[in-house]
Amino acid sequence: MLEEFQRIGRDLFVSGLVSSHGGNMSVRLGDRIVITRRGSQLGQLTAEDLIETGLHKDDSNIMLASSETPVHRAIYLNTAALAIVHAHPRTAVAFSLLQDEIVPVDNEGSYLLHRIPVVSSPIASGTGLAEVVATALKRYRIVMVRGHGCFSIGQLLEEAYQLVSCLEESSQILYYLRTIGGEMKEYRDMSDQYKKW
Amino acid sequence: MRVSSATYGWVGRIARVDLTSNEVRVQELDENLATAYLGGRGLGVRLLYDEVGPSVDPLSPENILIFASGPLTGTKAPTGGRFSVSTKSPLTGTILDSNSGGKWGVRLKGAGYDAIVIQGKASHPVWVLVEEGGITIKDARHFWGLDVEATTNSLMGQVKRPDLASVAGIGPAGEKLVHCAAIINDKSRAAGRGGAGAVMGSKNLKAILACGGRKPAIADTEGFDFVVYEARKTLKQSPLTAIALPEYGTAGLVRVINVLGALPARNFTACQFEYVEEVSGEALQNHLLVKRGACWGCPIGCARVTRTEHDQGEGPEYESIWALGPECDVHDLQAVAEANYLCNRLGLDTISTGVTIGCAMETAERGITDFPARFGNAQGLLKTIEDIAYRRGWGDALAEGSLRFAESYGATECAMQVKGMELPAYEPRAMAGQGLGFATSNRGACHLRGNMLGPEILGVPKRVNRFIFEGSAGLLIYHQHLAAIFDSIGLCKFAGFALSDEHLARMLSTATGLPFEAQTLHLIGECIWNLERLYNLREGFTHRDDTLPRRLLEEPLTQGPGKGRVVNLAPMLDEYYRFRLWDSEGVPTPQKLRQLGLKEGQC
Repeated sequence: MLEEFQRIGRDLFVSGLVSSHGGNMSVRLGDRIVITRRGSQLGQLTAEDLIETGLHKDDSNIMLASSETPVHRAIYLNTAALAIVHAHPRTAVAFSLLQDEIVPVDNEGSYLLHRIPVVSSPIASGTGLAEVVATALKRYRIVMVRGHGCFSIGQLLEEAYQLVSCLEESSQILYYLRTIGGEMKEYRDMSDQYKKW
Repeated sequence: MRVSSATYGWVGRIARVDLTSNEVRVQELDENLATAYLGGRGLGVRLLYDEVGPSVDPLSPENILIFASGPLTGTKAPTGGRFSVSTKSPLTGTILDSNSGGKWGVRLKGAGYDAIVIQGKASHPVWVLVEEGGITIKDARHFWGLDVEATTNSLMGQVKRPDLASVAGIGPAGEKLVHCAAIINDKSRAAGRGGAGAVMGSKNLKAILACGGRKPAIADTEGFDFVVYEARKTLKQSPLTAIALPEYGTAGLVRVINVLGALPARNFTACQFEYVEEVSGEALQNHLLVKRGACWGCPIGCARVTRTEHDQGEGPEYESIWALGPECDVHDLQAVAEANYLCNRLGLDTISTGVTIGCAMETAERGITDFPARFGNAQGLLKTIEDIAYRRGWGDALAEGSLRFAESYGATECAMQVKGMELPAYEPRAMAGQGLGFATSNRGACHLRGNMLGPEILGVPKRVNRFIFEGSAGLLIYHQHLAAIFDSIGLCKFAGFALSDEHLARMLSTATGLPFEAQTLHLIGECIWNLERLYNLREGFTHRDDTLPRRLLEEPLTQGPGKGRVVNLAPMLDEYYRFRLWDSEGVPTPQKLRQLGLKEGQC
């Protein structure tokens, strides 16, 4: 398991999806969760950076666990997710400050993500955020929190990571498109429906 | 609140056919029932739990047989041609549902019924006509004894619109109450596992002819068309559903699984087959393939129309190639194909038939019995299939299944089964999660209850280490719930190699007009799984039945990448129970039952 955390954590950092001490990840093991340590560097994870704690309630390990553990718990309790990745993809974060959804126009983003809702919470962590994110993830596999970052779910960390990576790529393409300017040549059938996803 | 005739997705009607009293009653489908259990397998388990208690002999008139479509059956949703048959299994004594494709489920729904429940026992052989004008019970004495193909041809010859008709029936095996008898629809699609065909035979019911062309109403046609478009696009973009399955069918798995040392041979005494090239998907394509085929509404098309020197038909698919080939050490692909055709005509489950014969072959090899066919005897295989179907000679004992056969000779270790159902074509010592799946499956050893083929072999959604036990439980549970959903909404599990739960939820929501979320579906899947568990517990099954044949737990593999490995089941099972919020004896806790809205004390 450590290897998987290290592999995904390293990739998240190297590809700029988290800053040096940003983001967190977890997996569910029945009634326990294994989550990255508060203040850990995802690009430099060691065995001591993986903290096991309860899914339903705290134990003393909560002292070490990520500050976003309540969000992870809420997600696990409301979805069938077995893994969660929380990252700060910068282009997607920028878009989240301007709009209420991100609708990819590139091919991969269109068919993998369709539409990513942007949700808001005045506090960066805690119960309010947990509820709003968990609710959104009942319908979507990845969701943006305005001005903060994304939460994605999967059966495996790698699957959740793929969604984050795809979201940032789609966001960058949208950014380039707007920067370059001009009218986009639509190549997808029924593209007007993506906003309804 | 009840589902009215204006309901979308579902038709809103269930037919009750009482063969004892010769009466047909139609009832409306309760909306709460439909939204909680969807249809197909989910609807089946709910009705069985409520109506078939532990005192009921599976082959008695008190058992019921439920044929149920799903809310997406017959719609434009890709692979939407599925239906389920639910009953208490004569092979295992567990709850059973067997799922099938073809077009029968579409015609049932097209005739105006979501489900048909067969009750009682007819005084003489009958068949049932289901059409838009109503349901009629008809005399089948002149069909009794005919094989599936002849019966189907006779009934289809009576209809004016064969394109809108379909037959599901039994062959001699079902009539003779063979415990692994299948119900075969459209001549070659099988509700194969667990002996539903024997239950049909016990009711003197030879066949059901469904005729109907009505299409299910869709609540949000624009939204539904978009999601269906997206789903089809996604299926086209996956190499599995767009290239591998269409090109080779499931037979393409033979070489892949063999290389990984997960293809059992000679009744699980080996995990690689030295003659694999002779029975591979490529061999089938090069030597037997006439053309490809597909079930109703399926863009994947994994079916194979084939021909040997002496015969022709459909298949064999991967599991059948294995069970009638490597499992019995048979490497003559023509013989394997002909054995498959024979099973279809006689109405037998190919997996249980092959593995039961493999078991008998091993007892002969070891000098335990005088069973006349040893490993590799293709002609012996073919003869034994017929003997089983007609309960002739050795076939009579084998018709009871491998466990009862082996037990009667004090050779239980030769029966490769769980809860009485024979194992399918994956070596658990080389696929840890799949092994846990066989042990915990609610209908006995089965890969279709929660297939770990995706994560352990094909990399769907991503590849996991198939030898590592940690984490297998959660992943398996995820797939067990998803499988229950596919079986209940009327889609094929192969679509799950490409489609996500988001696709399923959105197709269901737009079709029915009800707000299904992806995660709601997982919860429904969990509810179905737990109710099935409660059913089995009520029947007297315990955690001691969640196990694997001793060979897999104690005898290390002697070859392949998994050489030296056994299945380390105990820790996986502990993790599995904990994950499910069951107690250490595998009983759902009151907390779990409350979460799922199931009543405490039901077990």
